[in-house]
Amino acid sequence: MARCSQNLIDSQAVLEDYFLDNESLPVEEMVVGAVNPLGKMDCSEDSNLMEQGPGKPCGHQIPEKASRIHEEEDTKEEEEEEEEKEENELGDPAVLSAIHGAQRGHKGSPRLKAPSGLGISPVSLHFLCQTMDYLSPISFRSTFPSASSPARHFGPQLPSPDPSLFYSPPASWPPRFSLPSHRTQLHPQHQRILQKQQQEQQSGHKHQSPRVGKLWSQKPDPYAGLMNQREKDWVIKVQMVQLQSENPELDDYYYQEYYQKLERKQADEELFGRRGRMESPKLVTPYIQKAEDYESVVRIEGSLGQVAVSTCFGPRRAIDAVSHGSQEQDSAIYNQKLQVLYRIEKMFLQLLKLEENQKGMLAKPYFYELQRKQLEKIYQALRTGDQDNSEEAANGFLQVLSVRKGKVLVARLLLLLPQDQAVHLVLSITSHLPFLIRRDTADQALCMLFKPMGKCINLLAFSELLQGLQGLMVLQPGSQERPITVVLQNQFGISLLYSLLSHGEQLVSLNCSLKQHSSSDLAAWTDMVVLIAWEISHMSTASLAEPLVVPSNLLSLFCRYVDKQIVHQLEARMDYAPVATDLTCLGKLSCPPPTYQSVRAEVEEGKIH
Amino acid sequence: MNYMPGTASLIEDIDKKHLVLLRDGRTLIGYLRSIDQFANLVLHQTVERIHVGKKYGDIPRGIFVVRGENVVLLGEIDLEKESDTPLQQVSIEEILEEQRVEQQTKQEAERLKVQALKERGLSIPRADTLDEY
Repeated sequence: MARCSQNLIDSQAVLEDYFLDNESLPVEEMVVGAVNPLGKMDCSEDSNLMEQGPGKPCGHQIPEKASRIHEEEDTKEEEEEEEEKEENELGDPAVLSAIHGAQRGHKGSPRLKAPSGLGISPVSLHFLCQTMDYLSPISFRSTFPSASSPARHFGPQLPSPDPSLFYSPPASWPPRFSLPSHRTQLHPQHQRILQKQQQEQQSGHKHQSPRVGKLWSQKPDPYAGLMNQREKDWVIKVQMVQLQSENPELDDYYYQEYYQKLERKQADEELFGRRGRMESPKLVTPYIQKAEDYESVVRIEGSLGQVAVSTCFGPRRAIDAVSHGSQEQDSAIYNQKLQVLYRIEKMFLQLLKLEENQKGMLAKPYFYELQRKQLEKIYQALRTGDQDNSEEAANGFLQVLSVRKGKVLVARLLLLLPQDQAVHLVLSITSHLPFLIRRDTADQALCMLFKPMGKCINLLAFSELLQGLQGLMVLQPGSQERPITVVLQNQFGISLLYSLLSHGEQLVSLNCSLKQHSSSDLAAWTDMVVLIAWEISHMSTASLAEPLVVPSNLLSLFCRYVDKQIVHQLEARMDYAPVATDLTCLGKLSCPPPTYQSVRAEVEEGKIH
Repeated sequence: MNYMPGTASLIEDIDKKHLVLLRDGRTLIGYLRSIDQFANLVLHQTVERIHVGKKYGDIPRGIFVVRGENVVLLGEIDLEKESDTPLQQVSIEEILEEQRVEQQTKQEAERLKVQALKERGLSIPRADTLDEY
């Protein structure tokens, strides 16, 4: 029984510590004591006790009562202790009378008299009960009075406990005695071993006298309990504080996914008729107010450096080597860049929220409306920045696109935008392609825009397509060459061009009755194609970039409008097998089957990506 | 696991016998008495176990306080299976001697290797001049 008494002494020490700490507090009425012979505590009963007890301070008189403080042990030992306790309780008449006393006290009598002469203030018991509140079911053990009160104060100075810091019990609290296996995924081998061990222990226990204590293999450990329950709770509290988050889906994505998967699996199992489904508890991080808000780096006005503050929340934070004093005279460019980055970040957050909502709830019309509004907001932010001028707006947009993250943003946004807005963005991109290409030399990230833009392009109307292409052919003022030369030398540019042409070809050839499009449009189209073909053929193969996708209908498109010599050159550059040209070319005005082409394009795309 | 499902915590390991591997390569075996949020450990009745080949030797060390960042891993020791090992326990002097011999042979082999490389004009940076990780 050495261990038992050790635990009792510890619990006593805890109480005394608290009592010493809180002498100034008014001594409340009777309380707690949740004396529960069956080893299960009803926490609600506790709180009721506290509320109902008349608030008569009984200063000098320290009421005596039997209270049981349970030390949190590991599961196996717990079980043994529970059973031990039960034996104790049943065997001790003093305790039994205390139980009745406490229960009667609950009805409102001012004081509880208990046989044990333990000097415990009800306040400390109150506190303890709150402490234990979340550890339901909790059992209490009687603390027997010892002659002296050894002021054994283990461990470091504990922070003064603040009851408000302790959280409410988690949503689903499983009985503590069961295996950990249904809560966490243990290796099946491990699970079996634990199960066997538990069974052995339970069966072994029934045959042995509870007074003996542990199984023969575990001699009573005189040094156990160095870390008392309060300290353990404190560590857990600190760990919990670190875990809390406003947005668990974001911060703790993997655990949330895992838990949902587990729940789904259990739901399935239940569907199959397996009764006794174990409720897996979820990690619920309650909102615990951090004791103090601290700034890890303190800057004193007028000083040159920074002072790092270290608290129990975090050791000293690294101080920046750069002084913050002389930032004002930095150039406007730096600020502007920051502005752009800041805008990108804001829009990105909005986009992420939008995507999350989409993932979460789908077909509800209300949410769809909400999403549309959010999308509109992002789009506006992208387009206008903070100016109304369309030139400035385009500028803002291009600045966003100059940053790698901005490209990612636009790529993801394009998939969500309604068509007209998406088309608008695509056209802006195509008309400013040389500029973007120049800005992209460092990142080489334009290609991530290709796929979403490709999807958009396939939905373009003919006039819009023409608009896009014309942007490429405009001769820039002050330079001899057309933008198309730059475009052709860039992988993204050339792929975009090819997809535009391919789509145009599809539009033209699908609507074989040429009355669909206006003649001026068609003329413009023809001119464009010829010009582009000419440009491609006159560019050296070396400088031509390799496109991401080569649509199959291009060569036939060119065949129709340009002469054979140029076609041969094109074919050489566009990497087509000569056999194909003989079949499709030579002036045949055929409408190639669209389905075959789309399949081929997809296959090629699939090969490349 | 009781308190925080889905997380790992050392709370349930308190007062159990553990094997702790430190970053400097030492192996400690002791009863885990106390922890904190940094996983600093207090080990009681600690024994430093030195392994050389199939032999091992225990050096009793008493109480250890280990700073959390120096722990590589730790695991609970099953008391029933503890003695069920193919390894042979020897005295401290013997194991230290074995360790010394092992170190020596290793150093000798290393020296020869470095020599051979030097002859060929190559060099391998020494581990202690590299970053720890």
